[in-house]
Amino acid sequence: MARPHIEPFVDRDVSFKKMTLPGFPKGMHYKMLSLDTDTGACSMTVMYENGYVQPPGMSYADMELFIMSGYLESDEKRYTPGSYFWVPPGVHMPALRAPRGCVALMFYNYAEPSFVESDSDHQLAERDNLTIVNAYEDMHWTSTNFFPATASGCLVKVLRFDQRTQAFTFLYCMTPNFWQDNISYHDCAEEAYHIWGTSWMMQFGNLPTGGYFWRPPYINHGAFACKLGTLALGRTDSQLYNHFHFNPWTTPEENRERAASRMLAWKPELYRWIEQHGGHNHPHVPNDFEYDGQGDPHAIAHAHGVPHDHGDGHHHHEHEEKPKRRRRRRSN
Amino acid sequence: MVKVIEHKVSREVKAWLKKEAAEQKERYKKIVAEQEALSPKRDKWVADFLERIQSRGFNVHADMLRKIPAAEIPKKPRRRFKVVF
Repeated sequence: MARPHIEPFVDRDVSFKKMTLPGFPKGMHYKMLSLDTDTGACSMTVMYENGYVQPPGMSYADMELFIMSGYLESDEKRYTPGSYFWVPPGVHMPALRAPRGCVALMFYNYAEPSFVESDSDHQLAERDNLTIVNAYEDMHWTSTNFFPATASGCLVKVLRFDQRTQAFTFLYCMTPNFWQDNISYHDCAEEAYHIWGTSWMMQFGNLPTGGYFWRPPYINHGAFACKLGTLALGRTDSQLYNHFHFNPWTTPEENRERAASRMLAWKPELYRWIEQHGGHNHPHVPNDFEYDGQGDPHAIAHAHGVPHDHGDGHHHHEHEEKPKRRRRRRSN
Repeated sequence: MVKVIEHKVSREVKAWLKKEAAEQKERYKKIVAEQEALSPKRDKWVADFLERIQSRGFNVHADMLRKIPAAEIPKKPRRRFKVVF
């Protein structure tokens, strides 16, 4: 199981805990919002005490940080509320301090939180992907560019967009008196945290300031309403498409089936091609020339975790990594 | 793109993860119970929604609205109505 459906959860209802993981400096506290129990990937509200100092360092997995109150500063710059960081794995950050304390959202996408002191990048670090932006000061609100779209009054600022998966992180707001009378679900997991304000969904009721959800794919949410306005941070793990409908009682399985059927209606050629070429006993997975190159289909199947056989026609499986044989050392 | 740099996960980290996973399980149970308790209100919200999409309209795309004819309004199935999965 990856992350369970956590919705709604209000972090104001729980206390901060001391961060005790090895490597993290003293003075950091957290509230766990959701956790992937397989990988350790997680989302947390974090609080840095007054006078917190974090030495230069890096993480083994990518990390996103969004400052909600207070500030962090390095020798060169002060990061005030609205500051957003996406730090790829192995990219080292300079020493950071929180002289007057700071509260932020922190996300690890693919592995457990880690911090290793280092004043240089890891050899695998992709520094060119490092993103730092102040969403409040440097960006403008735009309407959502998803079709079908949310009703007017829901605006976004896209902070990060993954070209490969189309996963994205965004600040969004709902204007006062926003309403949208449809039920939505997506093919992606969706996550959000209310920085300020209360909004309402027909399934879950009111989500106030400090409200959070991690919602796996194909789960109904909406209709929507917001009386006084809301500011929130949202994230997805892949492309977000609004599958709108008005049946309040459908299940995630029915929604998924509908999504597949819609894909057949929208992209019949592609759907049939996948069905024919990716059907049973064909160790073939669609190849994206941009990312997979002209690689061996078997290797690509591995890379995507797709079950396949080895041409024997009856041996479907996913590979588990074989334990490496230990070589005996020869004593001279 | 590198997602994770290979590293050793210490016993301390594994213990932390185990504890957090157990706490999350409890959090999930609490959410399910709270959402169960919300059922009567939710039934009313659903009834209001089904009424509104017939009178004011259903948001097909952005502010584009379609009034749904009564014949298209879905019937509540017999199975239990779940919102948390």
